[in-house]
Amino acid sequence: MSHQPTITDNLQLSADSKLPQILFGIGIIGLLISAYGYFADANQFFFSYLVSFTFFTGIAIASVFMVMFHHITKSKWGVVIRRIPETFGANLGVWAFFAIPILLGIHNLYHWSHEDAVAADKILKGKSAYLNTPFFIIRQILYFVIWGFVGHKLYKASIDMDITGDWGISSLMRRISAPAIPLFGLSIAFASFDWLMSLDPHWFSTMFGVYFFAISFQSFWAVMILMVFFLQRNGYLKNTIGKVHVYDMGAWLFAFTVFYAYIAFAQFLLIYYANLPEETLWFYHRLEGSWKFIAYGLLLLRFTLPFLVLLNREQKHDRKILTYVSILVLIMHFLEIYWIAMPTLSAHGIHFSWIDFSTLIGLGGIFFGMFFQRFKQNSMIPEKDPKLGACLEKSYHQ
Amino acid sequence: MSKYEYIPEAKLVKGNHDFASITHLVTDVNLRRTPTMWYLLMLPANGLLLLLLGSIGYLFWEGTGIWGLTNPVGWGWAIINFVWWVGIGHAGTLISAILFLFRQDWRTAINRFAEAMTIFAVMCALIFPAIHVGRIWVIYWVFPIPNQMVMWPNFNSPLLWDVFAVSTYFTVSLLFWYVGLVPDLATLRDKATDKIRQIGYGLFSLGWNGSSRHWWNYEKAYMILAGLATPLVLSVHTIVSFDFAVSVIPGWHTTIFPPYFVAGAIFSGFAMVLTLMIITREVYGMKDIMTDDHMEKMNIIIMVTGSMVGFAYLMEFFIAWYSGVEYEKAIFILRATGPYAWAYWIMMGCNVISPQFFWSKKLRTNVKFTFFISIVVNIGMWFERFVITVSSLATDYLPSSWDYYSPTIWDVITYVGTFGLFGTMFLLFLRFLPMIAIAEIKAVMPQADPHNYDNNGKYIPPKEKIQSYVKIINSTDNISIEQDNEKITIQDEPKSKTLEPAFFVKPKNA
Repeated sequence: MSHQPTITDNLQLSADSKLPQILFGIGIIGLLISAYGYFADANQFFFSYLVSFTFFTGIAIASVFMVMFHHITKSKWGVVIRRIPETFGANLGVWAFFAIPILLGIHNLYHWSHEDAVAADKILKGKSAYLNTPFFIIRQILYFVIWGFVGHKLYKASIDMDITGDWGISSLMRRISAPAIPLFGLSIAFASFDWLMSLDPHWFSTMFGVYFFAISFQSFWAVMILMVFFLQRNGYLKNTIGKVHVYDMGAWLFAFTVFYAYIAFAQFLLIYYANLPEETLWFYHRLEGSWKFIAYGLLLLRFTLPFLVLLNREQKHDRKILTYVSILVLIMHFLEIYWIAMPTLSAHGIHFSWIDFSTLIGLGGIFFGMFFQRFKQNSMIPEKDPKLGACLEKSYHQ
Repeated sequence: MSKYEYIPEAKLVKGNHDFASITHLVTDVNLRRTPTMWYLLMLPANGLLLLLLGSIGYLFWEGTGIWGLTNPVGWGWAIINFVWWVGIGHAGTLISAILFLFRQDWRTAINRFAEAMTIFAVMCALIFPAIHVGRIWVIYWVFPIPNQMVMWPNFNSPLLWDVFAVSTYFTVSLLFWYVGLVPDLATLRDKATDKIRQIGYGLFSLGWNGSSRHWWNYEKAYMILAGLATPLVLSVHTIVSFDFAVSVIPGWHTTIFPPYFVAGAIFSGFAMVLTLMIITREVYGMKDIMTDDHMEKMNIIIMVTGSMVGFAYLMEFFIAWYSGVEYEKAIFILRATGPYAWAYWIMMGCNVISPQFFWSKKLRTNVKFTFFISIVVNIGMWFERFVITVSSLATDYLPSSWDYYSPTIWDVITYVGTFGLFGTMFLLFLRFLPMIAIAEIKAVMPQADPHNYDNNGKYIPPKEKIQSYVKIINSTDNISIEQDNEKITIQDEPKSKTLEPAFFVKPKNA
């Protein structure tokens, strides 16, 4: 049986890699600089922090989602890349600590947290059963308990399978994933309401949870593609993750580019068309002044360009094109969250602050530092997965 | 050894079939004498179809006044039935296009069948917007045809987008269905013994002879149509949802409508496929192809989409409260407690609660229970459209104009009549066309694997091939494996050594 798949790659990230330390260093420096920003301009600091925090948290949640989908659909194609999202997901419990600054800055961020403001506002009074500080904190704890627990469980099950080679664990993974998917659906929706939608406490959209899911998932695939290319550039998994797997990730990025556009446009169109004052105001602020450049930029650079570029089959596995598109998608993802959150702070127009970037670099350093710290502890692929053989056997058809 | 059992994937085709027996199994239905049962079923179907035609005739004669429409309930059963049938019509193209792009091989057992259902369901759906216009003789005005009066339909209206979306969907679904049929029609042509069939099937098989060039073109065409059909599956029900959501009617205007309607459509479509599949496979003895595993997979999709619909209900409810808009809040309370509360709770029970039973493996593999739920789901989805349409209109902004809406007998007859059209078309399909994609089902059989006969003609399915390759005997620090009947024990190896020969060989200190 000579045609059986074999792995000739080293499956272990070098144990003496200094990458996590370097990333942690960058992260800590970034956060220290941001902390200085807190004393310079507290409002700016908290808004910048919120944008960066949702940027990375969204990607981590999407990772767990992807792992769960993978188990529940018994997918074969993605076994070789599954350890990457598993590792992102496993860090969600620790990542909860980085939500604390949001709780500390609740008065700077959320208008509804001021009791006198609520007392003077009939609409806010109506929402106070949901939008109040204690319940907000309880919800944050609840979200991270769910996400951290599921992320940890799935990671641990996968590592256990590495150690024991027990294929029965794949049944366990499905048993965790199935009930966790609805829990994730609900918690992501409400988390997006809490973090972003309630920045403008009068505004509401039933689609907002789905919208946050869509933007996070699109950028998640961009992160995956860049991560795989980064590993391969450094000589890892070069023969394990082949053209066909890269193509599949390109196809997913394409699919979620379309899905994102569908959801974002449907949300916009329905609000624009009905033209009800309580809803249109949100878009009004975001289509005025210099904010409109981001709005149209999203249309062009987050949907149209990636869509046209990735439409062609050959380009879905073109490494250069995928790299550029992924970077573009991530930049636009940051700008989109920025565009959602920041008009609350500066309604007149875009006003970039250095704190926007220091929090992004700070949290990013920690986020990826934690990733590589964990990633190097275990094999880079679930090496005893029952479907690994089928995954490696998969070939790219013209 | 393990607390959990590893369940390898089941074979897609059960029983001891080869290519010839599959061809025979499927084509025999079309080539043998028409069974009496078929005529007996055709009778009520044709009866209902006549009822439909009669009620439409009376409608044309008398006008839409024969329906139960009132002011403010200007949209009644016609739109409900339209949305319901279009929703059902989503499963076929989803199965054939989206599942094809996702390389879900199990779709091959049901795609032909589901696509046929889609086409007939969309036909039933298209009746309603066509007949409801009052002045039927100018129905062509819905199309933007240049005319001397310079009269155009309102391009800003989602109702016009519907005309484009549904007719495009119908056309592409039909083409997709037909392209898939071509190789199978050629099979029927070749198997047929009488002249009429030979000519009939021969004409529509477009001279197919199974050459590799034909297959190459076929695969390309199929892929392109799948790519085109995929956004259409989403767009049709999205635009149907726009019919409601662009308005400012409380309960209609909510941004989650597009994905929520699409999920609901897939939900009802899969339920309808199941209803038909369970009967058909029983009657025609197709259980080897449409297996219980297929049913289980479809039940899981029903559970997922049903929960997505439930998620949307919850979001609507929460945001209605959260928005602080009085009318929005009122309509959701009225739906649950008002004059149409009975319909609301039927909807909730059928759509959100009933699919949750499928969490249990025992229930989702139970044929009778699945059949029951598949019907319950479609009742629920009809009531969902009823609740959305009627409750929002009947209790709108002005309480002084509130009234209870009831359908007339003509509403009911027209709706029931559409089952006649659907049933007639479906029976004709079962009789004259291969209900299973013969060529495609063969491609997922083990015999299609080029390595199938590697082991001296003794077949080992691919999954088990890998299983026998990696058999882990115990799970201590030193892992023993059995490879090609040779037992190897691996001692602690340094972690970063390049591993030969296979992926599973990595010892690890626990």
